[in-house]
Amino acid sequence: MIEIENLSKRYGDNIVVDDVSFTVGDGEIVVVVGTSGAGKSTLLRMINRLVAPDAGRVLIDGQDTTTIPEDELRHRIGYVIQGYGLFPHRTVAQNIATVPRLLGWDKARIAARVEELLDLFQLDPGEFAQKFPHQLSGGQQQRVGVARALAAKPALLLMDEPFGALDPVIRGKAQDDLLAIQRRLGTTIVLVTHDMNEAFHLGDRIAVMDGARLLQYATPAQLLTHPAEAFVEQLVGTVERPFRLLSLVTVKDAMEPGSADGEPITVSATLRDALAQLIWRGRPALPVADASGAPIGRISVDGILKHGRPLA
Amino acid sequence: MPTLRPTLHLDRLGSVIAGLIGLALFASPFVTYRANRIVSGEGRLLVDALPPAGALITVVVVLGVAFCAALARKPLARLAAASLGLCVIFPAIGISAGFVTPAGNTFARVSPAIGFWLLALAFALLAADALTRLRLGPWGRLGALSVAAGALALLLVSGAWNDLSLMKEYANRAETFWREARQHLWLALGSMLAACLVGLPLGLASHRVPALRAAILNGLGIVQTIPSIALFGILIAPLGFLAANVPLAAALGIRGIGAAPAFIALFLYSLLPVVANTMAGLSQVPADVIEAARGMGLSRRQRLVQIELPLALPVILAGIRIVLVQNLGLATIAALIGGGGFGTFVFQGIGQTAIDLVLLGAIPTVALSFAAAIILDAIIDLTRRGAHDRD
Repeated sequence: MIEIENLSKRYGDNIVVDDVSFTVGDGEIVVVVGTSGAGKSTLLRMINRLVAPDAGRVLIDGQDTTTIPEDELRHRIGYVIQGYGLFPHRTVAQNIATVPRLLGWDKARIAARVEELLDLFQLDPGEFAQKFPHQLSGGQQQRVGVARALAAKPALLLMDEPFGALDPVIRGKAQDDLLAIQRRLGTTIVLVTHDMNEAFHLGDRIAVMDGARLLQYATPAQLLTHPAEAFVEQLVGTVERPFRLLSLVTVKDAMEPGSADGEPITVSATLRDALAQLIWRGRPALPVADASGAPIGRISVDGILKHGRPLA
Repeated sequence: MPTLRPTLHLDRLGSVIAGLIGLALFASPFVTYRANRIVSGEGRLLVDALPPAGALITVVVVLGVAFCAALARKPLARLAAASLGLCVIFPAIGISAGFVTPAGNTFARVSPAIGFWLLALAFALLAADALTRLRLGPWGRLGALSVAAGALALLLVSGAWNDLSLMKEYANRAETFWREARQHLWLALGSMLAACLVGLPLGLASHRVPALRAAILNGLGIVQTIPSIALFGILIAPLGFLAANVPLAAALGIRGIGAAPAFIALFLYSLLPVVANTMAGLSQVPADVIEAARGMGLSRRQRLVQIELPLALPVILAGIRIVLVQNLGLATIAALIGGGGFGTFVFQGIGQTAIDLVLLGAIPTVALSFAAAIILDAIIDLTRRGAHDRD
């Protein structure tokens, strides 16, 4: 558990982070979102003490981070930045091995870990281990950057605009991959972005920052249905609000008993996807199938639309 | 139907080289004959400077090379032609010396004349051009340098050149030659090493502390603008004072003139390239790489040793290359104030109007600078590998 307590930072007269507090549960993805200059990156960099706070403290599993030597603290926290900062004179394998080497792991253990991570990130070890960063595509570099941050199995991963340098197509895929890997490893992630779609896609909770202050810290659904301030409402987008809500709920939660004609929709699809199918096929309802393909109910346009507004 | 005609491709540089060869062969003396080492001599054309059979072979080969230079397109063929040319004229000049010198005459001197130098220049140009077109990697270039050095050593050791005036000058002062060679290398390499020991930390400091940067660079820049002779003069007073008043300094051999001021002057000239390139090298390390290294918990020292210095190394080495080539040349001036080195022969030779003696000092200096440049360029290329090699 990460507890951020009353963190503040000022540069001269300029307050960059103003009394921010929130708690991140184990295995959660928290997305810090806001306009540029809102203090997101500074907040993130105070967690691994790249920036020293003027006030407040950060507790990791109850331990004040200032009681841990700086370098040692950072060995335990993964860190991914927008440009990845891969070491250009080192191979992919050497880059990934950075923190394990600092921690003094033996060679066999490092080699095994590098191979495991390359596999996890769908990079064939035989092909990629000995390549240099400049020989990789942007998407591959991004994956190596995340693999390097996860090398020493940190319980916490900090990511500062990790998808910012990718084109939209690769970005979506990279986000899905990150989600899948995070679900598998159970790593706690604090991620900074200015992209609201990314925040809703990835975040278990979203922290909205503006002008150095934390405006709201809530689940995506709460953020949509109960925005704390006008700025939050504007940021989440009044027009897109219903659709974002629908994308947070799966078919399972809106399924009705009964049956309908047509190609079935899987029970794990989001309501947004289901609605798209209904509109496109021109039907008021479609059957729902479980993972094995067996029909288990139906989903209707009316049933979906109820979920597109705050429940009374 | 398109007309097919045999195309005769005329290489532009090759044509110039061929012209140069023709000029050297037919219009310039191959060797100069002098009755003794300081009188002015008379030129001999190649056909008069070699025994008839030797002259014929040389002329045929040299003309063959000229044709190759003008017409051959494959770099390897051009390199082979140039090498063949050099392999013929270098021994030929030695044979010529023996042929032209009257039997039993120990005063007569034979030295290469303009014709020989033009041929050597033409072949060297051809070889250099071919090597450039071959785009040899660092190891290939080092290999080519070793082959050239080996061939040269073979010529020197075999005695093929012993009748040449230059080698006679060498034979008369072989012992002095090697002593001055050691002194020359000590001055050039020692001052470079000292400049690295001082310049690297200074460069690092001015990279880390921006306030120092302008002061250090301006100071060293001013030193760089002082002519070497003037710098020697400036150093005489403080070093003389030191020698007179500090017994330890005198015991170490520090005096107002001699090797000490030369060493210090070379050291001062070396600082700017080392400091400036260290700074430039460190400042071009990408900011996100350093940020990532910090974020992963590399300590200051680990960042410097594992990340910043390796990435800055090619630029730092480029500075050291400048220093080395510059020092090997500048060390010649040390002889002016009794500092020794190859300059000793140059200035003695100028004093005696004995051009061969000048060459005895100048040729090794040029050869050393040339070899140093090739070796360091190769090392720089090797350190760039991985980081900057693009497919």
